[in-house]
Amino acid sequence: MFKKIGYLLLSMFIVFKHLFKRPVTLEYPEKKNIPPENFRGKPVVENCLGCGICLRVCPSGAITIDRENKLYKIDLKKCIFCGNCAYYCPHSAVKMSKEYELGVDNRENLVLSYPMGGADERN
Amino acid sequence: MNKLKLNLGPQHPSTHGVLRLILELEGEKILSCEPDIGYLHRGMEKMAEKLSYIQYLPLVDRIDYLAGFFYSELLCRTVEKALNIELSKRVKAIRLILLELNRMASHLLWIGAFLMDLGAVSPFFYAFRERELILQYFEKVSGQRMMNNYFVFGGVRRDIEFLEDIEEILKILPEKVNDYEKLITENPIFIQRTKNKGILDKNTAFNFGITGVNLRASGVELDFRSGDYLYEGIEFKPVVLDGCDSYTRYRARVQEIRESIKIISQALEILKSEKDLNQNLLNPFTLSLPEGEYIQEIEAPRGLASVYIKSTGEKTPYRFKWRTGSYYSVNLLRKLLKGAYLNDAIAISGSLDIILPEVDK
Repeated sequence: MFKKIGYLLLSMFIVFKHLFKRPVTLEYPEKKNIPPENFRGKPVVENCLGCGICLRVCPSGAITIDRENKLYKIDLKKCIFCGNCAYYCPHSAVKMSKEYELGVDNRENLVLSYPMGGADERN
Repeated sequence: MNKLKLNLGPQHPSTHGVLRLILELEGEKILSCEPDIGYLHRGMEKMAEKLSYIQYLPLVDRIDYLAGFFYSELLCRTVEKALNIELSKRVKAIRLILLELNRMASHLLWIGAFLMDLGAVSPFFYAFRERELILQYFEKVSGQRMMNNYFVFGGVRRDIEFLEDIEEILKILPEKVNDYEKLITENPIFIQRTKNKGILDKNTAFNFGITGVNLRASGVELDFRSGDYLYEGIEFKPVVLDGCDSYTRYRARVQEIRESIKIISQALEILKSEKDLNQNLLNPFTLSLPEGEYIQEIEAPRGLASVYIKSTGEKTPYRFKWRTGSYYSVNLLRKLLKGAYLNDAIAISGSLDIILPEVDK
């Protein structure tokens, strides 16, 4: 009996101890989480030369290279944000940015297309 | 008395995913239990036959989302052993630290979810708060919280940083675990609902192929970490408890968290003395295993995980097979729930720590 009362008092003490600590949650739309340096968010492409190495390491086939229109397309519906394309890119053209709010109101906007200017400027 | 057939799940919140248990009831007593799995099947093994090893590596984290590091370590290890690649001491220590942190995060989530199944709400929030520290560390190191994709064949993606964060986690966790133990272990309601419930004796455990904490809580000393090459030169004691019931399985997991803390602090010392990261990174574009069959194993939080690869010398494996701990735990429910009462069904299935993506693959 006394053991049970002792347990009750102890557990209430622990619960109250935790009750008066600072909240650990974030009020999201007002306060935004700042991701760390290596965060793998929305992929961003600049000055792509079109070597096609990222196509060979992408697990989900999210990347297509449109050589006629010189466009580098990433389908965010397929992308799993593994970061393989950025890691194996020999010119660091593909980078994973810190952006994580990727909701859009149109399905077509989920396909990101970036211009591939790099090769022309060099020639 | 009339018999009643009851479907527990697949949408039940306490089944940790989509597990369907077909129960045959007589009053409140369970006469038989038939687990129905496959609702989360993603074709992990078949996918491996179409993708190259480097393409398959990020997907492996998704087999068990609570312990992704273990499965990517397992695949990396199989490839490295097949090609006779030696890892440097620093890489080994980095992998060991991240694996053990992941084991702690997995056990912490289990404590929270199990107590939530029994109706206690506070420990759920406490456990998730501490788990958040570990996940934020993973995010700093690897870029994402759960789907890390940090290990690569022959090393790691980049050198480990923020060691002071690990030290802080190691400092905070023991006090918090003490708090959980004060709150939970002596709780009369918790004891009534778990003690002598779901008894798993040695022979049944062996017959059903149970490994990991569930087996060690039945008094069998079988820990695959003791023969593992990552744990060479590290002192640790496998947690073996004689009790065989849900209560013992809870105590074993709490003690494993403490054991992991000891392992990490030893690995941190190795990490501080070995400064250079000598990686033997493999070229992913020419990577192929020589013809033959390869098997490797690792002690994951939910039991023995092992992988079997049959290669014909091409860039994709011919056959890929995963062995995961939860699959056997689900099968065990046939035996454990027979003769139990309906209100214990969730408590017993929760105590086995089942993760459904691991079962269905």
